[in-house]
Amino acid sequence: MGTDDLIETFRAQLRDDPDVASAVAAIRALLGFLKQDRGETIQGLRNSLRDAIDTLSRVDSSVAVSSGGELFLRFISLTSLEYSDYSKCKEIMIERGEIFLTKVSLSRNKIAKLCHPFIRDGARILTHAYSRVVLRVLEAAVESKKRFSVYVTESQPDEAGQKMAKALRKLNIPVTVILDAAVGYIMEKVDLVLVGAEGVVESGGIINKIGTNQIAVCAKAQNKPFYVVAESFKFVRLFPLNQQDVPDRFKYKADTLKTGQNLTEEHPWIDYTSPSLITLLFTDLGVLTPSAVSDELIKLYL
Amino acid sequence: ALSRRSGHRPDPAPHRHRPPAGRASHWLSRELMDLIRTEGQRMTAAQPSETTVGNMVRRVLKVIREEYGRLHGRSEESDQQESLHKLLTSGGLSEDFRTPYPSLRANVIEAINEMLIELEGTTDNIAMQALEHIHSNEVIMTIGYSRTVEAFLKEAARKRKFQVIVAECAPFCQGHEMAVQLSKEGIETTVMSDAAIFAVMSRVNKVIIGTKTILANGALIAVSGTHTLALAAKHHSTPLIVCAPMFKLSPQFPNEEDSFHKFVSPQEVLPFTEGEILAKINVHCPVFDYVPPELITLFISNIGGNAPSYIYRLMSELYHPDDYEL
Repeated sequence: MGTDDLIETFRAQLRDDPDVASAVAAIRALLGFLKQDRGETIQGLRNSLRDAIDTLSRVDSSVAVSSGGELFLRFISLTSLEYSDYSKCKEIMIERGEIFLTKVSLSRNKIAKLCHPFIRDGARILTHAYSRVVLRVLEAAVESKKRFSVYVTESQPDEAGQKMAKALRKLNIPVTVILDAAVGYIMEKVDLVLVGAEGVVESGGIINKIGTNQIAVCAKAQNKPFYVVAESFKFVRLFPLNQQDVPDRFKYKADTLKTGQNLTEEHPWIDYTSPSLITLLFTDLGVLTPSAVSDELIKLYL
Repeated sequence: ALSRRSGHRPDPAPHRHRPPAGRASHWLSRELMDLIRTEGQRMTAAQPSETTVGNMVRRVLKVIREEYGRLHGRSEESDQQESLHKLLTSGGLSEDFRTPYPSLRANVIEAINEMLIELEGTTDNIAMQALEHIHSNEVIMTIGYSRTVEAFLKEAARKRKFQVIVAECAPFCQGHEMAVQLSKEGIETTVMSDAAIFAVMSRVNKVIIGTKTILANGALIAVSGTHTLALAAKHHSTPLIVCAPMFKLSPQFPNEEDSFHKFVSPQEVLPFTEGEILAKINVHCPVFDYVPPELITLFISNIGGNAPSYIYRLMSELYHPDDYEL
């Protein structure tokens, strides 16, 4: 399967289903790539998959695509350890890949079920930018007959907060869009902060749209709980110690990186929030404290 | 029949209930687990603040799963927990526990008896660790009356000399009883009112308390007044040590269901003799307090000392995730 076909499959998925997570679309595209692969060895397969993942990262440079790709590679390695015959191995991989995709598509519902009891009747929630998982959680809370109101940050430079507000208004939830600068002002009125994540790092911290770190610091200062909702395929093998440690390839859009211009003039799209600011993480593996995240990653990768 | 002694040690009692269920001829583990789960739901609904009942039911369910797994031929290392690893390598859905195994009943009853023995020994296990934590000439503070802390301090008193300050824990003033028990062992004890906790804290070396429940994020549901004590200790950077056996660890998070709170008659706060004021005010008498995990230094349990951030690990060893919701 050529690189163009791969990119086309990936893009087509994101077009046809705007609700699908980019990591899931990436894994599905890679699974299609695997099915059409003509190689005869595991080593050859891994190399061509690595190239495929690089291609996809050049299309969409988000952390989620990278972690989805990494997870898929790990999946291949684990399965190949069990079977020595290549064609049998490939059959099992394809079968398990389909099962994995089915399980992963249920993850948002699992998270919503775990998280909505934490939203009290009459709560005022602050959220940041546009997150489909947070939307699903709030939908589940509405279904369980809770009344609450939401403040969304506008989230410049792409005004993702407006998109979120529109989606929430469709669910009949009272929503107010606030300026990014107004977070410190609004924090005293808010009962809890609920954000999604583009990636969850090994320390238990998160990588999310720029502005999340600010909100977390304000929440900590005013003793408000800061909840993160993320699916388990977003767990990534990074351990940033500060903002500078987050690799440049995640901070900027793929197109900007390709032009090779001076990055000091560019605004980054993401920031890193440290685990000490996070109260709880809701994932499809259960409700986790930030210290439990590294355990999960160790179980998988080591 | 479940004998529920009022608030003191309901823990072994649910266990003695289990063997009778085993004597009925339930060979299918699925039916047995459903029966136990229904019983557990009834018992926890009767008294939601007694979380140890639910914890014991969950441990029995885990025992049944383990014994079934062992007989089913699953390897010891296979992970029962949800994990990324399991998501990637599993070939299908989880087991349905429908295969009958005649020896399952005997294995389960044996495992439950082992658990009963472990439960009876928890206070002694905790007390054995006392000498590592209490040193000579220290001033220890505690609140209310905890039998675990009493045993802990008495064990240390056999070899060390130290002082204890007990906050009386109004309105039931169980601290008085604690002080009497401690002074019988020759420990120099002082009783003081809850209002004086912050004032005295600067002279205290350690705070040792018991608790009613340990929540899944490492927080406590303890007797009313404990949060004040914890905040005062944090302010003075005094270590806060919680002595509690593992059966108090409950896999619930502090969400807003608020089923942990218990309010009793406000007679103790404002007696009914103050009739004129009563029409104009609201009086509450909550029994429990929530203490967040950041204020706690160490948990001492029958399996040793652990930090609050490690509680999630202990939980995964004791209970199966499918049982968190009974």
